[in-house]
Amino acid sequence: MTAADERADAIVVGSGPSAVNAAYPLVEAGLRVRMLDVGHRDTTYARLIPDGPFTALRRTDREQHRYLLGDGFEGIGFDHIGAGAQLTPPRQYVFRDADRLQPTSSSTFFPLHSLAEGGLGGAWGAGSPPFSEVDLAGLPISYRELAGHYETVAERIGISGTRDDLLPFLGAQIAMQPPVAIDSNGESILRRYASHRRALQRDGLYLGHPRLAMLSRAHRGREANRCWDMDFWSDEGKSVYRPRWTLDELRRSAGFSFVARRLVRSFAERPDGTVTVEATDLDTGATESHRARALVLAAGTLGTTRIALRSLGAYHRRVPLVCNPHAYLALLNVGLLGRPVRDARHSMAQVCIVHAPAGPDRPFTVGHLYSYRSLMLFRLVKDSPLPVPESIAILRDLSPSFAVLILQHGDQPTPAKHCALEPRPGGDDHLAIEYSLSSEEQQRHEDVERAVARGLRRLRCLRLRTIRPGHAASVHYAGTLPMSAHDDELTTDRDGRLARTRGVYVADGSVFPSLPSKGLTFTMMANADRIGSRLARVLR
Amino acid sequence: MAMPSIVRTAPAPEGVDATPLREEAARFGRYLVGATPSDELAERYARAHGHVLRDPPTPADEAILAFAREHPWSLPLLDAGTALVGSAPLLRRKLLVMTAVLEATPEHADRMLAGNTSLPRLVLRLGRAGAAAAVKLLVGAALVAAVTREARRGPGKRAGRAGRGRQ
Repeated sequence: MTAADERADAIVVGSGPSAVNAAYPLVEAGLRVRMLDVGHRDTTYARLIPDGPFTALRRTDREQHRYLLGDGFEGIGFDHIGAGAQLTPPRQYVFRDADRLQPTSSSTFFPLHSLAEGGLGGAWGAGSPPFSEVDLAGLPISYRELAGHYETVAERIGISGTRDDLLPFLGAQIAMQPPVAIDSNGESILRRYASHRRALQRDGLYLGHPRLAMLSRAHRGREANRCWDMDFWSDEGKSVYRPRWTLDELRRSAGFSFVARRLVRSFAERPDGTVTVEATDLDTGATESHRARALVLAAGTLGTTRIALRSLGAYHRRVPLVCNPHAYLALLNVGLLGRPVRDARHSMAQVCIVHAPAGPDRPFTVGHLYSYRSLMLFRLVKDSPLPVPESIAILRDLSPSFAVLILQHGDQPTPAKHCALEPRPGGDDHLAIEYSLSSEEQQRHEDVERAVARGLRRLRCLRLRTIRPGHAASVHYAGTLPMSAHDDELTTDRDGRLARTRGVYVADGSVFPSLPSKGLTFTMMANADRIGSRLARVLR
Repeated sequence: MAMPSIVRTAPAPEGVDATPLREEAARFGRYLVGATPSDELAERYARAHGHVLRDPPTPADEAILAFAREHPWSLPLLDAGTALVGSAPLLRRKLLVMTAVLEATPEHADRMLAGNTSLPRLVLRLGRAGAAAAVKLLVGAALVAAVTREARRGPGKRAGRAGRGRQ
């Protein structure tokens, strides 16, 4: 075993959205912070992609096949549509080696996890609505305690959106830029919504602009979105927030160090009050020991859970696991057929849809609608029952009117959703996951999907099919080390401190015991900022 | 449910003669876009094939592919038939790989990129494509059934029938 360099005040494990936002207040407080992660980067495709709009590159770039299809043709696949189905080759580094280095086993749940620099934030959809008081029910913290941290993180990452009919559901946000212009598809749907607003709202359907971590104006050295429709392929201009933009800011601080190629295995608390972290150097295979006054685990729910269970010797112990179930509604916007569409657009969600028959003070369902523009046509042809040339001709003409509504359902813990760390022969271990929805849960989801599809028909959007991409498809995992007012084993307190430890904190999705329909990431970042801020006060 | 394979890091198998695949690329290119693809694209198809289509063909796949090789006129019908019936998916997958290779080129961008089309023109084009597809589907489904039925009979039974015919 080799010792790493001098002791830090805090070690942060991970480099994703929660890790960088937990580290930021610690660094701002002048503390010495060491961040450990494997830290994969895209060393292949980013440099290949020229600057320019998607359609222009398609017509001119002779090397486009490299990043559109991938050097290993990883952009061509015939698998069932599942988690990460929309990932383009330039984004697939986010998941490199994760299955090999952090094995899981399940017959029903196939998670995506990341060992990349920036974590899953390297490929996220940038949806950033804050949780409301209703969404935070069951946690020992209130919206009031998070409010300031939402604003801090919103300023740090850049959020765009507007105050429209979704304000009661998505909440007010002070630090918010105007929305980036939506495309012709989104515009036509919102225009029709305006004409049928009263009837749709009577049925509990509300539409508006999404809240996105994407810039409409220059901010902190990043540019406004250029509407080149390249957001699934390239980060040129940095308009969509990626955690590595915050990591780059942290790197400029003398008190911060990022140690890459390190897979953290476990921690141990010492009698002198410090914490040691054992990590494997993936280049040499050597085991290193890092020591600090406090440890922040922010390696993603599954990564953090693995480290915590291993460190506490909690093998075979089941911990709860929740995950937002997804349904993809493939839609045809009949009202747009034969109408001109603008080429200039961004690639992220164009419209946010809320199904809330009981209003904003009861649980509701949120969906994000994407147009099918800057993705390859052959992926649609794959699912066509027609001959290929005719499929190309028909789908090419219809694709401007295609849309995909990703409906995200909430999730509550049940006995049928859990994971446990199981040892394997040879000294390794794996996370065994069981996850299934009850028939009542499935029925509830289908009822919501039917109601939403009915409302969309009024907006002249016809549902073509519903795709269920599998339980883990949302990549929003939580609930394994839930925040609790009681000091029960394998829980965390309101400061994120892991029960029965002195200086180990958890700052990622693990601490949220349940998931509302809204995306978790923005709230996770705000909570990480809160935990980092509180820890900074303790350590100073 | 199979594990989703997001990142394919293993290289394509080496030592495989790519000539038949390059010839296949030429046939597919002529069918899909009405033009013989360049050597570069044929080579790219062969490489993609090695990465993406590694599962061994079923007897039905082999029968369909052999028939398409021997009777090039049948390719549109077999494409339609296998799309509708869903059995013997290998031909369809090969065509999709070639489609992807062609799509990711400047030469074929306009064929694949969405454009602005007026509603009357859209209806006309959809109608034309739909009608062509319908005819191919009907005839193709019958052809696929006939070809795969022969494949299921196997060489022994086919030789037996040939022997009885000679009597």
